[in-house]
Amino acid sequence: MMDFIGFTKRNLIIYFKDVLAIFFSLLTSIIIFILYLLFLKGTFVDALNGTLNGLENFVSGADIDMLANGILLTGILGTAMITVPYTCLQTIVKDRESGVDSDICATPLKRWKIVLSYFTASTLSSFIMTSLILTVGLVVLNFMGDLHLSVQSLIAAYGMMFLGSASSTALFMLVMLFFKSSSTSTAFFGILSAAAGFVIGAYIPLSQFSEGVQGFCNLFPASHITSLIRNILLSGIANNIDSSIGGVDNGAFISAVKDTFSFNAHAFGTDFSGMNSVLYVGIFALICIAAMMVVYSKTYKK
Amino acid sequence: MKVIEVKDLTKKYKEHTAVNGISFDVEEGEMFAFLGENGAGKSTTINMLTTILGKTSGSAFICGHELGKEDDEIRKVNGIVFQNSVLDKKLSVKDNLLTRGSYYGLSRKQVLARLEPFSERFEMKDIWDRKYEKLSGGQRRRVDIMRALINNPKILFLDEPTTGLDPKSRKIVWDYINYLRKEHKMTIFLTTHYMEETRDADHVVILDKGNIISTGTPAELKTRYAHSRLVWYTEKGESAESLIQIISDKYVYDADHYSIETDRNLTEFIFEHREEIRDYEFVKGTMDDVFLNLTGKELAS
Repeated sequence: MMDFIGFTKRNLIIYFKDVLAIFFSLLTSIIIFILYLLFLKGTFVDALNGTLNGLENFVSGADIDMLANGILLTGILGTAMITVPYTCLQTIVKDRESGVDSDICATPLKRWKIVLSYFTASTLSSFIMTSLILTVGLVVLNFMGDLHLSVQSLIAAYGMMFLGSASSTALFMLVMLFFKSSSTSTAFFGILSAAAGFVIGAYIPLSQFSEGVQGFCNLFPASHITSLIRNILLSGIANNIDSSIGGVDNGAFISAVKDTFSFNAHAFGTDFSGMNSVLYVGIFALICIAAMMVVYSKTYKK
Repeated sequence: MKVIEVKDLTKKYKEHTAVNGISFDVEEGEMFAFLGENGAGKSTTINMLTTILGKTSGSAFICGHELGKEDDEIRKVNGIVFQNSVLDKKLSVKDNLLTRGSYYGLSRKQVLARLEPFSERFEMKDIWDRKYEKLSGGQRRRVDIMRALINNPKILFLDEPTTGLDPKSRKIVWDYINYLRKEHKMTIFLTTHYMEETRDADHVVILDKGNIISTGTPAELKTRYAHSRLVWYTEKGESAESLIQIISDKYVYDADHYSIETDRNLTEFIFEHREEIRDYEFVKGTMDDVFLNLTGKELAS
């Protein structure tokens, strides 16, 4: 067990000791935050206000602000869940390129442990980073107002961070097999960073895209996780807003908000319930993990 | 006692045969050298013996453990210094060595205890907390060797350990290798394309295009394949050449001297002709000559 822990620790240190790697892995999240400050918040608030339709007297501006801020937080978390594990897993390509994998393969560390260790380290790194963002985000939001979060929701939110980190890592473990050099994987990271914000609906809600695009985006576990986390974190405030409306609209406002900002993943004409999204992400991760254990074991038998 | 026994070991990549049915044995405590140019199959052989690469056919036993069947046991007795540095550049020397030690199931305390006998000799104290990427080429090599010693190996594989190093660093690395060999009686398996590095080997195997083309001690190989030369610094002329023809008909004139190939004892001849042969030197056959005569190719010196 010490060998597995040792190699996992090494992979964790590689990421956490590289300040630049941490910065670039969070760059998309940082960009989303800056864009939010510049204009995205205005867009979100306008969209929310547009849905009010005469209910302005029932819903406070502060609640609308909290809703928009919460949507921002979920967008940042969703993109970090894509970019952090990818950056961590680039260690696999770098190790292959520099011959470090030969050094590892010359030790008694079992091949399956090597694969599992890369997976564990990346999942943990992503979980740590996203949990950190979530914690800081919730603390800041708490100072700004009340999110009406229950303890169960809080635990579920951290649980989603773990599930999202594990599923993204599992997917990217397979993607890394295609890269022979770190320059190629870095080039792909550029594309991924740019696309990540759109895929999880951080810039523009996914509901604004066509059915086909929504379906494609929701193939990725990170999109489901973003919807799930949105549901978990913002249901409290949404219910509070609904209560303050007092049933005048028969829940139409909150229903419209949830549809617009994809509180539930929607793909190919089907709305995913929270449980279905968890199942989808879980099954997706398990398939990727099984595939990675089979394929990687072969790549180490040169 | 044989610590490595190799029989008909072959590695094929589709149509290309990198190592072609080679056989050799290595005795415990000896320095065994694989000599050959780039692409001769040296690294491929080391990679197979250290279980990094799978073999296509043939058999090998490392400390009695069969390659392909008892790989985990083999990994425990091998130490390897790779051609290129394979430690983590962003990590400190300490972090690199401690994490590598953990791959062998060793705790921090155990790693430190294993390295303790070598630490002073390898001057680790000064670089212990420095990032690996900040070290000079020679210092990196020093750490690479320390890394290979973590698991207390019975056999230390060195894959072109001095390639790319300046002469001073090369000498330092060789001091360490000789120290391990003499003080710790470690079996050294070396690959190199530097001729002079095989000089002190107990056994040399010359590899060309994946085949062993000759094997023996450096002295045996020189006797078989290299000739000594008399270098006579004089002006080119008929009288000089008729004198040379008494001892050999294999000679050339280069710049300011004749280079005369001969295996004769020339003490008496030079004494007899001391008036004519005043400025000379006697050059014994080198491993360079051995390689040149065997393959028709020259290696780095």
